[in-house]
Amino acid sequence: MTKKKVKVEICVGTTCFLLGASKLQEMERFLPPDLTGRVEVQGTACLGCCRNDNFGSAPFVKVDDTDVIANATLEKVINRVRRSLNL
Amino acid sequence: MILLEETFIEIECCQRIKTGESVCGDDFRSIRLDDESRCISVLSDGLGSGIKDSLMASMTTSMVLRFVSRDMEIIPSAEIIMDTLPVCEVRKISYATFTVADILANDRVRIIEMDNPPYIHLRDGEDVQWEKQTVFSAAWPDRKLNLSKFKAVPGDRIIFFSDGVTQAGLGHSIAKFGWKRQGCLEFVQNIIKREPNISARDLSHSIVAQACTKNPGFSCIDDISCTVIYFRKPRHIRLLTGPPFRNDKDRDFAKTVLDFNGRSVICGGTTAGIVGRELNREVRTDLRLRGGGLPPISTMKGIDLVTEGILTLTETDRQLELDNRQQSAPLAAAKLIELLQESDVIEFIAGTRVNEAHQDPSLPVDLEIRRNIIKRLKTVLENKYMKKVTIKYY
Ligand code: FES
Repeated sequence: MTKKKVKVEICVGTTCFLLGASKLQEMERFLPPDLTGRVEVQGTACLGCCRNDNFGSAPFVKVDDTDVIANATLEKVINRVRRSLNL
Repeated sequence: MILLEETFIEIECCQRIKTGESVCGDDFRSIRLDDESRCISVLSDGLGSGIKDSLMASMTTSMVLRFVSRDMEIIPSAEIIMDTLPVCEVRKISYATFTVADILANDRVRIIEMDNPPYIHLRDGEDVQWEKQTVFSAAWPDRKLNLSKFKAVPGDRIIFFSDGVTQAGLGHSIAKFGWKRQGCLEFVQNIIKREPNISARDLSHSIVAQACTKNPGFSCIDDISCTVIYFRKPRHIRLLTGPPFRNDKDRDFAKTVLDFNGRSVICGGTTAGIVGRELNREVRTDLRLRGGGLPPISTMKGIDLVTEGILTLTETDRQLELDNRQQSAPLAAAKLIELLQESDVIEFIAGTRVNEAHQDPSLPVDLEIRRNIIKRLKTVLENKYMKKVTIKYY
């Protein structure tokens, strides 16, 4: 059985890109060994969160189609992925 | 490049300097007389190579441009040129040869040649040979001027070169007697068979590169110049950037990419989202297509290029304004530049809704408002790249 993969969408819109997504888009290269092959990293255009004060600040990363992480860092995203995989 | 009524005239000259020299002994100049819908291009070759030859050639092109644009008589003009230039001690002829292509309104063309290799006029792949009238000045009977006239039609190409092209390989084993006009003609006919819409720029580069391959070690045994003039239907591109000021305009805005005879580009993630939503097309952002400090490229069915907005446009403008642009623009900007350069008529469809997030003081760079960047792009594309540019705000 193929193992479950977590979908991670990194916003590469102008604001997010400038505030850190340019680094985050490389995240596949920095995944810990137990997560390699378990994450599907994609890019996405502006999620609209940057224009809405209720969401916190950029960069934004969307996980599992539902959950948006504000102020995203590699660490935060990895923790969230782990939670999805029950690791 | 200029737009004369419905035909677009693309003019390019590719030059290589003789190996070992630091300046080109051939000179090419082209001017456009806007009020007269006229364009004059001159290629001149001085005898020999190096700085002296370069000076002679540029004196010749300046004089020819001046005389032709003022509609002076040909023989007296040629006399002035030959009287001005020094005479070669050995060959007893004055120091320059030239070819002029004078393109008037309605694509009427007049070619004047003085001792450069005969030009090529290609129409439907055939070498059209127009009758030439030969005239000369009593003072310089050895210098013959050949005149020809015709009306160009869309698809025509006029090609002329310095003898660095026709004599490429002269005295060397592959092409003992040089490449000659005939060799060049066959080469061009073959290319056009394969690539019927090849641009003047690509064709002139290919001819010069091919001439070099005839020479030992791909060197330049003489200065090599080749001008290509291509009469074609204008190529259109439409670039959408920025969300419309009013939401209820989204649909009209998105529909501008439909039924359009040309290429289309979207610069802006939100903009792409609007077009995708209204036209029911998916936008995919491929993280593999990133590079050079700009956000990655996306794809959408029917759209030639989808990029991020402000950063990509700003970088594109910066690159276009550079005098010596290196080939190292970031991917998204490089692709956009390529598309813009390949087009003759550029339409910006600019949405004017401002993204407040771009005014956030915590951003590490100052983001300009879209309208200003578009205006700057318009200026550089018109003035430096001779494009016809329009902006429509939404
Ligand atoms: S740019 Fe990322 S949410 Fe707007």
